[in-house]
Amino acid sequence: MQSGEYGVRVWDLPVRLFHWLLVLLFAFMFFTGKSGSDWMEWHMRAGYAVLALVLFRILWGLAGSTHARFSNFLAGPSTCLDFAKKLLKRAPAPYAGHNPLGGWMVLALLLALLFQASTGLFANDDLLSEGPLASLISKTMSDRLSTLHSWNFNLLLLMAGVHLLAVLYHAGFMKENLIGAMFTGVKHLPADAAAGSTPARFASPWLALVLLLVAALAVYLIVKRPF
Amino acid sequence: MRTKLLAIAMAAALGGASLEALAQAKPDVLVKQRQAAMTLQGKYLGPIGAMLKGAAPYNADTVALNATFLENLARMPWDGFNPSTQGEKSKTKPEVYKEMDKFKLAYERLETETAKLGAVARAKDEAGVRAAFGGVAKACGACHDDFREK
Repeated sequence: MQSGEYGVRVWDLPVRLFHWLLVLLFAFMFFTGKSGSDWMEWHMRAGYAVLALVLFRILWGLAGSTHARFSNFLAGPSTCLDFAKKLLKRAPAPYAGHNPLGGWMVLALLLALLFQASTGLFANDDLLSEGPLASLISKTMSDRLSTLHSWNFNLLLLMAGVHLLAVLYHAGFMKENLIGAMFTGVKHLPADAAAGSTPARFASPWLALVLLLVAALAVYLIVKRPF
Repeated sequence: MRTKLLAIAMAAALGGASLEALAQAKPDVLVKQRQAAMTLQGKYLGPIGAMLKGAAPYNADTVALNATFLENLARMPWDGFNPSTQGEKSKTKPEVYKEMDKFKLAYERLETETAKLGAVARAKDEAGVRAAFGGVAKACGACHDDFREK
C-alpha cells in the first residue's frame, strides 16, 4: 500500500468464496472432462456444484452487496470506451468494484458457464455416461449438445485466459493488485477514487446462505426430477 | 472345348465382377455399416456398465451374452474405414487415414480387451468382468479421443 491510498472493503465473503471455489471447480472440471469414463461420475457431480454456484451468483447479482450487483457494474458503451482508452494508455483508472470491461466479462463468464452446465445436463460421451436429462431428448439432439459442450469449453478456456491476462495487466501496468483484493476483499484506492466511489452496502451473509440453498435445491430438482 | 473355355471365361468375368462389386461398396454404405457396428457395441456395452454400477441387478447370463456379442462386434467396423469414405459426413478425424498404424493399434486393443471380457464373462467370473470391463471402456475412450471429432 502506497501513501495516499485508502483500503476500501469491496468484495464480500460470498463473492470471494464463489470466485475461488469456481476456480478450483473449473480446474477439476477440466481434468475430469478429459480423463475418460473413470472420472465422468465426478465430472457430473462437480458440474452440479458449478451450476448451483452460478445460479447463486446470478441471484447475488440481483440481491447481494453493492459491488456484487449487476446494476453496479454493467456500464454503458461510452463508459466502457473511455475506460478502454485509459487502459491502453496505461492511465490510472481505479474502480472500487468491477471496472466497466471487467463487469461485462463477469456477465459473459457467468452466461458461458451457465450454457456449459446446461448442455452438460443433456450431453453423452458415446460410451457409458450421459447427463441426467439426456434421456429426455433424442440421441441426435444429445450428440449436438455434447458437441456444443466441448466447443463452449474451449471458449471458456479462452475467456479464463483473457481474464487472467487482464488481471496481470492491471498488476503490471496499472499497479493494481486485483488478485490480493479477491482474497482479502480490500482494494487499495487513491484518495479521490476512494472518496468518489459509492459507499458500499454489504448484504447479510445469511441471505447469501439462503440464496445458495435455493440455488442448490433448484439444481437438485433439475437433476433428480422427483416429481 | 470352345464352350468349356467360354464357360470358364464367363465364370471368371462374373466372379471378377462380383469381387469388384464387393471391393467397391459405396462409401456412404461403408460409413453406415461401420456406424451400425459401433451403435450395436453401445447397445451391448451399456447394460453391462449399468449392472456394474449397480443401476441394474447383475445377471451373469446377460453379461456373458452381451460380452460375446461385443467380442464379435469389436472386429466389424474397421474395414469400413476405407479411404474412399473420407468425403462422407462422419465424426471420423482425418488422422485415421494419416496414421493408419496407430489407428490399427487402437482397434486391435479393443479386440484384445473384448476378447478378455468375453472369456471371463462366459466363465461367469464377476470380479473378472469388473476388471476386464474397465479395459474395454478405456480402449473405446482412447480411440475416440484420438480419432473421433467431438
